[in-house]
Amino acid sequence: MATNPMHQFQVHRIGPEIKIAGIDLSFTNASLFMLLSAVAICGLLFLGTKEKKIIPGKFQLISEIFYNFIAKMISDTAGSKAKPYFPFIFSLFMFVLFCNMLGMLPYSFTVTSHIIVTLMLAIFIFIAVTIIGFLKHGFGYLKLFVPSGVPVILLPLITVIEIISYLSRPVSLSVRLFANMMAGHTMLKVFGGFVISLGMLGGWLPLGFSVALTGLEILVAFLQAYVFAILTCIYLNDALNLHH
Amino acid sequence: MVDLENFKNRLKIAKNKQKNSSKTVGNNRNSSSMGSAFKLSTDLVAHVVVGTIIGFILDSWFDTKPWLIIIFFFLGSVAGILNVIKTARQMQEKE
Repeated sequence: MATNPMHQFQVHRIGPEIKIAGIDLSFTNASLFMLLSAVAICGLLFLGTKEKKIIPGKFQLISEIFYNFIAKMISDTAGSKAKPYFPFIFSLFMFVLFCNMLGMLPYSFTVTSHIIVTLMLAIFIFIAVTIIGFLKHGFGYLKLFVPSGVPVILLPLITVIEIISYLSRPVSLSVRLFANMMAGHTMLKVFGGFVISLGMLGGWLPLGFSVALTGLEILVAFLQAYVFAILTCIYLNDALNLHH
Repeated sequence: MVDLENFKNRLKIAKNKQKNSSKTVGNNRNSSSMGSAFKLSTDLVAHVVVGTIIGFILDSWFDTKPWLIIIFFFLGSVAGILNVIKTARQMQEKE
C-alpha cells in the first residue's frame, strides 16, 4: 500500500465519527492540516508583530516581506480601490501557501491536492467578485459581457463567448492549483518508488531526480499560491474598475 | 540618537545597492512569466471544458442532443483561444 503513489491523497478520519443531520463532519487528516496551516500563519504573524522594532528580527522581517509583497501586488494589479480587500487576499495567499508548503514535508498531507478544497475557494472568490461587481456598478456590470467596438452582427456570438469565459474562471483557478499539486506529489512518490525497486545498483539516478523535483515542487508550491492570489486581484480589478 | 542616524545611512546604502542590481528584477519577471504560462495553459483547457459542459446542460434542457454540445464545444474553443490572445497581448503591452 505504501508504494501506491496515490495513497498519500487518501482522506481518513481522526478520532470519533461525528454525524450531524446525515452529513459526515468528522475530523479528518485534511481538517488537521488546514488547522495546522492556520495555526502556523497565526503563530508567525503573532511572533512577527509582537515586538515592533525599527531593526526587525527574523519573524518580523518575514511578516513584513509577506505584507509588502501582497500590498504591492494588489496596488499593481487592482489599483488603490482594492485596498479594503487586502485582508481577504492576504489570508487567501497565506492559507494556500502554507497548505502547499506543509504538504512538502514528508508524511504530511497536501490539502490543496484535493479539488474540492480548491474549488470551494475558487467558487467563493467567483461569487464574492460577482456580488462586488453588481454592488459597485448595478446592472452596468453586465457590460462586462458586451465589449465595445464590436459589429452588431457579431454581438450575440461575442456575448456567449464572454459568458463562457466568465464562467470558466473558477474552473481554471481551481484546476490549476489542484492539478499542479497532485501531479507534483504523485511524481515525487513515483520516483521515490523507483529508488526502492531499483535498489543499490540503479537507484541513484531516480534519487537525484527526486532531489531535483523536490526543489521544483517547492518553487511550484510558492508559484501556485502567487498565481492564485494574483488572479483573484485581476478578477477583483474587473469588478471594481469596469473597463473593457 | 547616533545609532538611528547610523542605521539610516546604512539603510540608504543598502537601498541604493538593491536599486542598482538588476538581478532581482530579472528573477522576479522570470517567476511571474512562469505564472502566466500556468495561467495560459489551464485557461485554454478550462474554456473548452466549461463550453462543453454548458452545451451538455442546455442539450438536456431543450432535448436537442447532440447539436448544442457540438456548437458549444467550438464556442468554448474559440473563447479559449481568444482569451489566450488577449492575455498575450496584455503581457506584450506590459513589456
